[in-house]
Amino acid sequence: MNENKFEPKIVGFCCNWCSYAGADLAGVGRLQYPPDIRVVRVMCSGRVSDLLILNAFAIGADGILVAGCHPGDCHYLKGNLAARRRVMGLKPFLEAIGIRPERLRLEWIAASEGPKFAETVMSFTQTIKELGPSPFNRRRNGH
Amino acid sequence: MKGDMYLAWSSDSEILNRSENGGIVTSLLKFVLDTKRVDAVLAVKARGDDRYDGGPVLITDPSELIETAGSLHCSSPNIARFLKEYLGGAFDMKLAVVGKPCDIRGTIELVKREQVNLDNLFLIGLNCSGTLSPVVAKRTIIEEFGVDPLNIIHEDIEDGNLIIMLKDGTEKTKDLKALEEKGYGRRENCRRCEIKIPTMADIACGKWGTSNKKATFVEICSDKGAELFEEAIKAGYIAVEHADDKAIKERKEKEQEAIESALKWEKTDFAPLKNMAIEEKFDYWWGQFSQCIKCYGCRDACPICYCKDCILEADRGVVMPGEVPPNAMFPMIRIAHVMDSCLNCGQCQDACPAGIPLTRLIFMLNKELYGIFKYQPGVDVASRPPLRSITDEELTIPGVELVF
Repeated sequence: MNENKFEPKIVGFCCNWCSYAGADLAGVGRLQYPPDIRVVRVMCSGRVSDLLILNAFAIGADGILVAGCHPGDCHYLKGNLAARRRVMGLKPFLEAIGIRPERLRLEWIAASEGPKFAETVMSFTQTIKELGPSPFNRRRNGH
Repeated sequence: MKGDMYLAWSSDSEILNRSENGGIVTSLLKFVLDTKRVDAVLAVKARGDDRYDGGPVLITDPSELIETAGSLHCSSPNIARFLKEYLGGAFDMKLAVVGKPCDIRGTIELVKREQVNLDNLFLIGLNCSGTLSPVVAKRTIIEEFGVDPLNIIHEDIEDGNLIIMLKDGTEKTKDLKALEEKGYGRRENCRRCEIKIPTMADIACGKWGTSNKKATFVEICSDKGAELFEEAIKAGYIAVEHADDKAIKERKEKEQEAIESALKWEKTDFAPLKNMAIEEKFDYWWGQFSQCIKCYGCRDACPICYCKDCILEADRGVVMPGEVPPNAMFPMIRIAHVMDSCLNCGQCQDACPAGIPLTRLIFMLNKELYGIFKYQPGVDVASRPPLRSITDEELTIPGVELVF
């Protein structure tokens, strides 16, 4: 694949109560954002375990966005706090085994924050485009 | 009282003769068994007469305790895992457990995970300046000391030297650092271990501070330990004198010296891993992981791994049956699940038949996570593993990162 035409695969784990509604609002408001993100709706950002994140990387995600409710707004009270600690812990791990920690991002996106969702996806896609394909994909494609 | 320090020795001359220092550990074990304070004792004993094959033993008969007296530096049994796996986590028996700092810390981590019942345990910690793997120990003795390993009756690590004593009574000494630079000496994790005195146990026993007298330096680390120790004195099993400032200072200095050497080794071990470019790191680690033969040895040896139904098993759909080397999920999940509580006990690396430097990676990550979460595993029963716990205060912190 030509490096210039690199279209990243980004997985967006969005929580059912805030971020997915935020993404919906961005859609309803016809806000433009890159189509590289594949949104996966989960009930809570706390559901996004190490397993989901690492597996997404292993099977070809170039970047992973975990989006949840702002602290204090979680439908399940503290699920998003678990996600926060988990992502904080995974970043040094990813870096140590050769995956740039910038490929994993956590954002708080409320149901009313459609524009923030669009902006987040835009800037994250830009970051991943600059970083290029994930090392797993690079190895798979024989680079 | 908690925090008290003593120089102590056994009142039993047989124990005193056979033991490493003052025989306090064996005497305390004898005391708790004799008085039925515990149902059994978990200690370490050489199999047959082989100093290089020490394994955990469960002792219920006080007369057998004498066989566990004396230290074995050339084996590193997995006490915490043994306790959880084969003794039911002490939920249905009272036990006295003897262990190195990493064994005690492993036990405490398992207590946090509700796999071990601390109420039923007396933890007797031993000062530890490191262990040698049996194979490397034998190689060191043959190639560096020029002695038959079966001719050794005692070995010790003291003031940065490895000391061996032969059957005929001669002592041989070599500089440990020089040995280790040549690839001999202690296990890799031991040489960078900073926790030499197990103050997280009920009683910490060791040699430092005794000025080579035939005595054990004892620090009382909990109220449970204090009670036990006082009872043992009253019953006449041990004799004590209060440690004077000189002894305490000597112990502190030796500990400090050992910690400094550990920190140096830590730098030496981690620098190449940290200084690689990120692409090199990926190639290096995936090159290592591609040697994995999926024996599950690391998982089965790890004192922190405790899931009854492990996600890495073939029927869980993450790691495919029959696939060797396993897919990327195997090493990643293994590491991600234990990295916040890694004790640097070295069991995974010892177990790995492919020689993957697992402890080096996991403990390096643990140190980085310490920088973020300030969590030191296995030291305090009340503090929770940082990636598996949350606090109410965090509800009011708005950002996507926490600062501790």
